[in-house]
Amino acid sequence: MHSSLSNIRISGLAVSTGSVVRDFRADGLAAGIDPAQLERVAKAIGLRERRVAAPGVTTLDLCEDAARRLLEEMAVDPTSIDALIFVTQTPDYLQPNNSSLLQARLGLCKSVAAFDITQGCSGWIYGLHQAALLCSHGAARVLVCAGDTLSHQTDPKDTATHPIFGDAGSATLVEKTGSESAMHFIFGTDGSGAPAIMVPTGGARQPVAAGAPGAYLKMDGAEVFNFALREVPPAVAGVLKLAGWTPATADRLVLHQANRFVVSAVARKCGFPDAKCPMDLVEQFGNQSSASIPAALVHACGSTLQEQPLKIAACGYGVGLSWGAAAFTIGPVVVPPMLPFPRR
Amino acid sequence: MPRDDAKNLAALCADVDALAGANLETVLATLPNWDSLAVLLTISHFEHTHAVGITATQLRSCRTVRDLLAHLPR
Repeated sequence: MHSSLSNIRISGLAVSTGSVVRDFRADGLAAGIDPAQLERVAKAIGLRERRVAAPGVTTLDLCEDAARRLLEEMAVDPTSIDALIFVTQTPDYLQPNNSSLLQARLGLCKSVAAFDITQGCSGWIYGLHQAALLCSHGAARVLVCAGDTLSHQTDPKDTATHPIFGDAGSATLVEKTGSESAMHFIFGTDGSGAPAIMVPTGGARQPVAAGAPGAYLKMDGAEVFNFALREVPPAVAGVLKLAGWTPATADRLVLHQANRFVVSAVARKCGFPDAKCPMDLVEQFGNQSSASIPAALVHACGSTLQEQPLKIAACGYGVGLSWGAAAFTIGPVVVPPMLPFPRR
Repeated sequence: MPRDDAKNLAALCADVDALAGANLETVLATLPNWDSLAVLLTISHFEHTHAVGITATQLRSCRTVRDLLAHLPR
């Protein structure tokens, strides 16, 4: 699906991360993994550290912190928000949704439209598109919260998947504007690849019995890499075309931060040099799922975005299998620093 | 060994550390570092060096290095 929407802008974004620092090498040694093998994987994939949520801290808590800091920094009255979109695959409960819980926590009006989107690494693009659609049809201000705590959903014995994920929550404020600013989107889905990233138990198909071991996320990294190489470059080329840009005229390509190896390989196939494609975030914070694109924007471009506009192409890809690409100009905007939650 | 195979083997072994010292008849499963990382590196090599998309499923069905190289166009 292709979509272009105008008179909409991102006016601010904030990200809060988990507060617990995990070291890839130290954790691997503690798990009994051969040091040479650890070094080989760390160098090739780009794994160093990640920030995970402390026990008891959920995606809702991380996104609430990011939203509070953003609204405070922007001096935005929470009651002026027309809609709240919460993108996550790690909600507090099966019911009710996180958006209802966050509406109450933030003190948004009862007239607010609040709903969740169940998407992972492509989710921020989906949330941004829904916010832009709402702003095109009557809403003046929409808050998009996207985040996940997948580190709590992986099996500690799964040495391929467990060391990858970090936890974070983001808040993005989208507003209707009188200026001529457009956002372009392309989405795609290939459900035949769904088993490549899956939490097989815990849903209605395969409920978890009381007292049974936790439902862990399973991921086939090679299949996901194939999928990213196959689907992301055409999606990025498509949104660049919609925007009238090229890799030479776009300022940045911000990809979902799966890991350095994947980001670099996909960026190369998209025709972007590494210098235009942020990829340092993941070595320090881990794969933050639906929060990784806003986190990469804050981490790599935050200070620039506070001063001047940047032409951004972005693409999220992952569970579903699902992908979403966007092209938009952002800045100057309010970008509070990325901080851990809770803070000491 | 045909010249193309020798050239392709050398390039593959340079990019995929697990294949260092391998020949066409080397059985992949006997290589100590033939793991999920080696699979990623091989997919990346095929994509960037030969513009060939090899799927994880195709790759996992290969028994020897020769089977891997058979996925390259002749």
